[in-house]
Amino acid sequence: MSVVEVLSQAVLTGDDEQMPDLISQALDEGLPARRILNEGLLAGMAEVGRRFRENEFFIPEVLVAAGAMKAGLQLLRPHLARQGVQAAATAVIGTVKGDLHDIGKNLVAMMLEGAGFEVVDLGVDVSAEQFVEACRTHPVDLVALSALLTTTMPEMIGVVRLIRQELKPSPRVIIGGSPVTQQFTDEIGADGYARDAATGAEVARQLCMG
Amino acid sequence: MTGKERVARTLTHRQPDRVPIYDKFWFEAERDFRERLGVPLLERHTRFDCDTAPCAQPQTIWELFDMDMVEVAWPDFRLRFSPPEVIEETDEWLLQRDGNQAVLRWWKHKMGTPEHVAFGIDSPEKWAAVKHLMTASRERVRWDEFWPLYRRARAAGRYVCFATVEPIEMIKDVLGHEIMLRSMIKRPEWIHDIFNTYITVAIEMLELVEAEGMVCDGAFVYGDIAYNTGPFMSPRHYREFVQPYHRRLFDEFHQRGMPVLLHSDGDIRLLLDDLIDAGVDFINPLEAKAGMDVRELAPKYGNQLGYCGNIDARVLATNDLERIREELRSKLTAVMAGHNYIYHSDHSVPPSVTLETYQAVLAEVRQAGRYD
Repeated sequence: MSVVEVLSQAVLTGDDEQMPDLISQALDEGLPARRILNEGLLAGMAEVGRRFRENEFFIPEVLVAAGAMKAGLQLLRPHLARQGVQAAATAVIGTVKGDLHDIGKNLVAMMLEGAGFEVVDLGVDVSAEQFVEACRTHPVDLVALSALLTTTMPEMIGVVRLIRQELKPSPRVIIGGSPVTQQFTDEIGADGYARDAATGAEVARQLCMG
Repeated sequence: MTGKERVARTLTHRQPDRVPIYDKFWFEAERDFRERLGVPLLERHTRFDCDTAPCAQPQTIWELFDMDMVEVAWPDFRLRFSPPEVIEETDEWLLQRDGNQAVLRWWKHKMGTPEHVAFGIDSPEKWAAVKHLMTASRERVRWDEFWPLYRRARAAGRYVCFATVEPIEMIKDVLGHEIMLRSMIKRPEWIHDIFNTYITVAIEMLELVEAEGMVCDGAFVYGDIAYNTGPFMSPRHYREFVQPYHRRLFDEFHQRGMPVLLHSDGDIRLLLDDLIDAGVDFINPLEAKAGMDVRELAPKYGNQLGYCGNIDARVLATNDLERIREELRSKLTAVMAGHNYIYHSDHSVPPSVTLETYQAVLAEVRQAGRYD
């Protein structure tokens, strides 16, 4: 098994302790940082996403896998920068105004990172204006909106409207959360519906990376 | 038939006179209904106590709507009972460190789950330093709230449930979901130690409440083990980490002749066989928006399980009586034959439901839910 395959496997099993040795080994073998990222870390997370969608993995497995991926990415980041490798796309994520729920949003953020996005996490209780402002200060390709309550879900309408109005061209917008449906996504003119964290990352990839 | 008889028969799958009625309400819905009914919440009911303080009212909303059941006891499993330390406050929210050393951001003027900002106990070492605080004590029950309610419920012939929480619900308040779920894989011995400690205290609290004379008919056990698309953990992890403690707690209830109603939000279908195996008798609230549907579950599980809930709050919120009647009738038709159904919304009644609509819902259940 090649070192990138072992890296991918280490992500899958959440083995963050092995990451320093594996990243060093891969770099010592002269592999480009981009290849280590794509074929090692991100390939592992892609498999995590697949297993999550298929009910083979659940939240504990996703959390440890994301932890291992993050540990590897942190070690790899200086090499990526030196070699001029940039994230494939940038996503801004947040829970909408009036809503303090963050667990689902955090999971989506982890899966987006695992799909190759640079993630700017605005936290919870984020207004439409704050989303737009973040899009002005970062080169944003995707905005991901979360809401857990039927009472806060309508906030998404205002965010989508303001993004379309203020930002030309507008970044893609995906939405998710317990009360959100595909029908609601279509009604408010969002670009994608994240039924769960893994699906969200998959939809985001399709929208931003083709 | 009294509420107690009605619920007791239903929980043992024997025919009652009609489907029993029970429900939960979002804070704003309860406040609005009470104002309309001329029985406003007393001053004491503050936002920060909204999960439990309704029970301190001279008349709970269960009594106002003449429901068949009430809940008492509600042991408090915080590590420390000191008042929360306020870290930051705005007009809208309050950031505070609670008795579990968790930093949570709460809305000041509305109900809802707080933001989990940080958890002070995030390692086995920190847990070891506070573990000694987790002991059973009289201090864990608000007797002044629950004795009056218990006595009124007994006088009115209502079914009385001992309300408590199960380990996932207890520990998520201490470690947060992420640390708890990650540690199932990374630090399994630690998670077993915490679960074992809390469930031991939960059982001791049952014994303590009973010794005080507050003897209950059934158990309402709260524990969100799922979200809208599935369980937090795999069935394998459920069996390894949670089921042994569920079984210990539920066995205690069963030894006392108390059926177990388990409340979990979300889609718990993947865990139902294991939950039944652990001793769950009824499930609540069967969130329709998460895919739970008594019309599918009743034929599948027969008399292995009973149901309390599943009436879609989104349909109630339309205030369209025809749609609501259709929702009620189609679900009642599917489950009444098993004599194992208790009316309940599929989570909590939202404030968008009008009082007139809700009164019509209860009238419909009292009529369409009759067995004679």
